[in-house]
Amino acid sequence: MTARLDRELNPAELEAFGQELDALRQRTLADLGEHDARYIRRVRSAVRLCCWSGRALLMLGWFPPTWLLGTFLLGLGKILENMELGHNVMHGQYDWMNDPEFSGRQYEWDIVGPADFWRHTHNHMHHTYTNVLGMDDDVGYGVVRLFPEQRWKPFYRWQPLWVTIQALLFQYAVAIQHLRLDKLAKGRISKEEVAPLARQFGAKLARQWGKDYLVFPLLALLLGANALAVLTGNLVANLLRNLWTFLVIFCGHFTEKAAVFAPEILQGETRGHWYLRQLRGSSNLSGGPLLHILTGNLSHQIEHHLFPDLPARRYAELAREVRLIAERYGQHYNCGTLWGQFATVLRRIWIYRLPSAGMA
Amino acid sequence: MPLIPLSLARRLSPALQPLRRLCAGGWLREADVDLCLRLLHPALRLNRVYARVESRRWVADDMLAIQLRCNGNARGWRAGQHVQLYLQQDGVRHGRSYSLTSVAADGRIEVAIKRQPGGRLSNLLLDHLAVGQLIELGQAFGDFAWPQEPRAVLLLAAGSGITPLLGLLREALARGFSAPVTLLHQVRHRGQQAFAEELQALAARHANFQVQWAFSGEGERLSAERLAALPGEHVRVCGPRGFVEQACGGWHDAGRGGSLQSESFSPLPVLADAQARAIRLSFARSQQQVSGSSNASLLEQAEAAGLRPAHGCRQGICTSCTCLLLAGTVRDLRSGALFAEPNQPIRLCVSAPHGDVEIDL
Repeated sequence: MTARLDRELNPAELEAFGQELDALRQRTLADLGEHDARYIRRVRSAVRLCCWSGRALLMLGWFPPTWLLGTFLLGLGKILENMELGHNVMHGQYDWMNDPEFSGRQYEWDIVGPADFWRHTHNHMHHTYTNVLGMDDDVGYGVVRLFPEQRWKPFYRWQPLWVTIQALLFQYAVAIQHLRLDKLAKGRISKEEVAPLARQFGAKLARQWGKDYLVFPLLALLLGANALAVLTGNLVANLLRNLWTFLVIFCGHFTEKAAVFAPEILQGETRGHWYLRQLRGSSNLSGGPLLHILTGNLSHQIEHHLFPDLPARRYAELAREVRLIAERYGQHYNCGTLWGQFATVLRRIWIYRLPSAGMA
Repeated sequence: MPLIPLSLARRLSPALQPLRRLCAGGWLREADVDLCLRLLHPALRLNRVYARVESRRWVADDMLAIQLRCNGNARGWRAGQHVQLYLQQDGVRHGRSYSLTSVAADGRIEVAIKRQPGGRLSNLLLDHLAVGQLIELGQAFGDFAWPQEPRAVLLLAAGSGITPLLGLLREALARGFSAPVTLLHQVRHRGQQAFAEELQALAARHANFQVQWAFSGEGERLSAERLAALPGEHVRVCGPRGFVEQACGGWHDAGRGGSLQSESFSPLPVLADAQARAIRLSFARSQQQVSGSSNASLLEQAEAAGLRPAHGCRQGICTSCTCLLLAGTVRDLRSGALFAEPNQPIRLCVSAPHGDVEIDL
């Protein structure tokens, strides 16, 4: 189902392709400044405003207008923190500011997966080996078969169910990815290797649960408010964030026209090759500014993968130029609406649950 | 208008220890706590040092002494150490190192800033930092210290090298140090005699202290003969590298004993290789491979490649740019020493590649 009609590039073209993208990156880097710094500070203010007002509203109990709005605001704050703030800051997009509050190596985000795990599985593995089978675990996260190139196992028969569970518990799925439980089960890594990571995960899990499901409900009890309403509001807000991030991330690399690659592609891969692989393996979502900010600008997944450490607010303007470059080199620029792209992802999940589809 | 005065905010600092522990354990986010603390007083922070500008006074044509009052987070600072001053420009937080000319128990400190022609930060500080404004500082560092024994001390300063020595001197005299102290301050012209009035007043008040000036613009550079004529058993030297090397060389050549401590500042002494060689630089995190030179610092070369490593003083002092060396050999630009231990932390600003290297950046 690789429905791409890309022109193969000869080495000279690849070199020029890489240089054009490098030049684009340099131009943007040289232009970074006050606007970008102010932007990320404003995003953080918006996150605080949403989360804190949401939590305050939840203290008013089950009264539907405040409970719904409070839950929605908390969920929105968590989505923004996760996507536009945490994910992007942890990529080092704002390291040039030299501000410890926006330092990619120190930021810890508001989800159960420890930031250190993410910096490895995502920043290093996923961004280096994007859509390379056997290297990039984000291809199906080990529970979903999305491409005919993935070897079929009986387990995949029920993958629509696995995907649903994964979507509901997405933050946990992302967190335990780093523990390599599949390798542990097969005996390829030892318990001793996993233990310190498991402890780190356990500590973060305790902090997250402690905050959302213990401290704030207890605070409600102390204030004479309804602890159950607060607890439920937190649960639903986290659920909203799980579903939204799942939706955005699955649309990033598993759409109809996204390509996967065999590990051999990595041998002697040049910078031009790497750029090309990022372009072919990623897919964009078209939409307005609200969609872009809520996805943490991962709606510009292609630009994010070409330039993971440029501030995400620049992707929209970069996209115009990347699209032109892709066109000039005869490369398909994979872009569609959120629901259009998601429909193709669902189709993949449905089709490749069966082995026969792999043979076709 | 702050809700509480700075003196109270300073006293509050020890009481914030539980919050510090919660932040260190990951239960609270320091930036959020700082936001709340700022409502009490704009200089109040959990760990970071912020200070209010109390006064400004020109102590030479090109040197300004700034009195600051720190929040309660400046710990164990001593006069003669240096500290980073941070200023934001175009969204970037830039830091520069300045010496502490005095440190008082009530959190009042003084730094002296010399105008660097074309210097981005020094000019911003000199021309735009107003009384009442807040500024961020790093923690103080440096081990420049007054000799332990009560024997004659010689202080040799050139240019802004006067600043740490003045800090040490003020403290020693105030403490009642009674052995002879001689200070020689070499400046280009007479308008640069920083703190001249205060030094003369000190000399008038303390019979054991005398001060001399040398004007290099008038051909009076520190020579071996002049050095020989200066009394003192222990020597403290601070100034540009050329001055410090000459003074230390002269001291050793004359075979004078006692302790010698010296500090030199920019321009960075680039211990150049015999000739620059082409080098392959690999930056692991950013997956970049660039060709570089064996003669420039890794920080400069990384920046030239479009990376933005964390950095501070750019002189090998503050360790902000510390990074892991994954493979290869680097040379310390200051000492020429070679480091080849894999996974060793190195400072990018004072390390140059000695061969092909891979860095965790």
